Amino acid sequence: MATDPVIDVAGLGKTFATGRAGSRKHKAVEAVRDITFHVEPGERLAYIGPNGAGKSTSIKMLTGILHPTAGRAEVLGLVPWQDRRRLTMRIGTLFGQRSQLWFELTPRQSFRMLGAIFGLDDARLARRTHELAELFEADELFDAPVRNLSLGQRMRCELAACMLHEPEILFLDEPTIGLDLLGKQRFRELLVRLNAERGTTIFLTSHDVADIEHVAKRVIVINHGAVIYDDDVAAIRRTLLATKLIELSLEHPTDEPAIPGVTVVEHTPTTMKLVVDTSTRSIRDVVDALLGTCPVTDLSVVDPPLEQVIAEIYGAPRP
Amino acid sequence: MKAFRVAVVTAAQRVLAERGGLLVSLGFYLAVVSVVTSLWRAAAGAHGGTVVGYSAVALTWYIATSEAATVSLNIRLIEDIGNDIASGTIVAELLRPASVVGIRVASEVGRALPRLAILSLSGAVAAFLLSGGHGPPDPAALLLAMPALVLAIAVNLVAQHAFAGVAFWIRDARSTWFLYQKFVFIAGGMLLPIEVLPHGIERAARLLPFMAMAYAPARLASGHFEPTLLLVQAGWLAVLGAIAVAVFAAGERRLQVVGG
Amino acid sequence: MTAARALAGTQRAAMAEAWANRRGFWTQVIAMVVNDVAWIAFWVLFFHRVGAIRGWDSSKVLLLLAVLTTSAGLVLGMLGNARRIGRLAVEGDLDAALALPVPPLAYLLVRRIDTTNLGDLAFGIVLFAVAGHPTPLRTLVFAAAVVVAATILTGFLVAAGSVAFFAGRNEAGELGFHAMLMFASYPVDVFSGAAKALLYTVVPAAFVSAVPARLIDHFDGRLAATLVGVAALFAFGGWALFTAGLRRYTSGAVWTRA
Repeated sequence: MATDPVIDVAGLGKTFATGRAGSRKHKAVEAVRDITFHVEPGERLAYIGPNGAGKSTSIKMLTGILHPTAGRAEVLGLVPWQDRRRLTMRIGTLFGQRSQLWFELTPRQSFRMLGAIFGLDDARLARRTHELAELFEADELFDAPVRNLSLGQRMRCELAACMLHEPEILFLDEPTIGLDLLGKQRFRELLVRLNAERGTTIFLTSHDVADIEHVAKRVIVINHGAVIYDDDVAAIRRTLLATKLIELSLEHPTDEPAIPGVTVVEHTPTTMKLVVDTSTRSIRDVVDALLGTCPVTDLSVVDPPLEQVIAEIYGAPRP
Repeated sequence: MKAFRVAVVTAAQRVLAERGGLLVSLGFYLAVVSVVTSLWRAAAGAHGGTVVGYSAVALTWYIATSEAATVSLNIRLIEDIGNDIASGTIVAELLRPASVVGIRVASEVGRALPRLAILSLSGAVAAFLLSGGHGPPDPAALLLAMPALVLAIAVNLVAQHAFAGVAFWIRDARSTWFLYQKFVFIAGGMLLPIEVLPHGIERAARLLPFMAMAYAPARLASGHFEPTLLLVQAGWLAVLGAIAVAVFAAGERRLQVVGG
Repeated sequence: MTAARALAGTQRAAMAEAWANRRGFWTQVIAMVVNDVAWIAFWVLFFHRVGAIRGWDSSKVLLLLAVLTTSAGLVLGMLGNARRIGRLAVEGDLDAALALPVPPLAYLLVRRIDTTNLGDLAFGIVLFAVAGHPTPLRTLVFAAAVVVAATILTGFLVAAGSVAFFAGRNEAGELGFHAMLMFASYPVDVFSGAAKALLYTVVPAAFVSAVPARLIDHFDGRLAATLVGVAALFAFGGWALFTAGLRRYTSGAVWTRA
């Protein structure tokens, strides 16, 4: 028996009216149009697009904050904007720029309030807090007032707050905004771990490509309010760009090799970087040629950065 | 002198650009005037036609004027100045050749004048309508009320600069402002003609600068031809101006010691 | 009931937050008290000179002020977001409330405590104790009247603020707030005609201060029932307008900023 999708979206759309009705400035902005996709339980999905693409609007409709103007959606079998209170008991939300934790209180004090809100009894709240403290290595953080925490520390506590009631789906809207590299890395690791240990479905919006590379298995690209791509992260790399990068370490300086379908993008006395057009030439042939002509001490073959891939998709004309 | 004139003109232009804020001030002014004059007209009616010698009509013109004199101003001035001193914005102004206090007061007066003009005009219409179609009790006195209004806001502004210095030293601009405002309400004759105050308190109020900020123009507009009031206002302007300059000079020295 | 537990937990957190934020608390409370005392001074001076007008004298007005400051202190102090509904709607700050399994309006109301207005609350109670001739019956009526007045004020503020959902701007909320507090601080009978009618209907300032004061002096069953009816009307109206407005909430979407 096939599992029901935890998120089921069909033809979802949201039009905002700007300016006063009847005034000259009045016009309708179609923020999101005709969005259709399904998400299976336990998936890690990234929902990406440039600023103003409609990511936040989409996620806010799925969490019951906004009412759509077209289409339908079901999350865990519930219509978000109609069954908001029942749904929010089973999902967690983390919006990068809006805090669940209260600024002047410690996270633990906020947890106590959230425990009352989610109907967790004292025993369960204590157990969950302890589990999360261990999982997030955040025990000392829970007793410091939030205003004293760094952004990275705060986001870890925010994530813990979302997980307190053991939700089945976690919705995150630009969660790594403002974090430094290390902070982002730690945060992503936590998401992956949550998904692995508890099977929590992860639905993440971002315009940071590294979020997708390290967290998501599947990516939906949205631009100008419409879905323009929906597939595995690996597939995006493979199908949209037939290129690979080769990085060489050299024993001594050497001339650039002349191989058709291969362009040298960086050349120092000890290293070389090349871009291979795999539609013209197979990687095997190129590597053979390089090993034959260059004093290679080390060699690696990598996929092109996702940034490049996404940029190509963004640049595609509106369907 | 040219610096002052330029400051006044640019500030006035700025205010005209803030049409929305003007409308809000106007709405607020008209609401307050209708409410407070209702009260005083009812009072006069219940008291045999006059209260401390003011008829219902006189009271209507009184309140319309006293409120115009205060609502015209940027009400958060003491807080703004106190914050400017604390943040060091004052230092940038101290580098300019003209007197700091002079420039600031001139620009604030410039900002207030268009507002004052609009409020006074609407106030006159409102007073006429609310008093049941009666014009000003003494047109000659009303003419004097006009320069009195300008002097009133100038005195108020200079006083606030002097007070702002105090606010900076005790480090609570907001509470200082609250206290100041209450003095203007009562001792300044904004909410009630100071003749209403018990005799001892009335005499004390006449010796304070607050009466120059609201009572003076209101007294004139309500039909009492007393030109000496203008002299009193000018006198307070000079005294408070001197105090404000001294306060800012002391503040400047303190800033330099503290390191700005 | 889980909603009650949720709201109680939220209010407890709000109190902890207000207490944590108590820098400058005392100067602000004192400023508030000075403000209230100045108003008392005005009325005392006024009636000293004028005598009673239209059935209102010094002690009746002090009673009115006691009811007003206590109920306003209660609403603005304990339900700190009541006056901010419009601002929250326009700036997209309702997300946090909507992301939780709580009734959104109730959560928002108890979510914030403004300590400075608690000064009004204390002042009003002291004023009643000192100048309100607090017999047991009068005290009982005072307490009940304050709760009813607070309900009307809250319902009105929420309704005025909810206009922002439909208008995209918060002017009605701000205007309503200032108008209400201004008109409620005067004995309503000094007004006449259209203005007076306004204060018994659209801007129910009379029901927030003058009518409760009247009830404390001369309890009248029918008037009390009317007052409770008005409270129910505004409470329901505020809630209904807010709930309808939520469907049009834009969460501060960039395109709709005025």
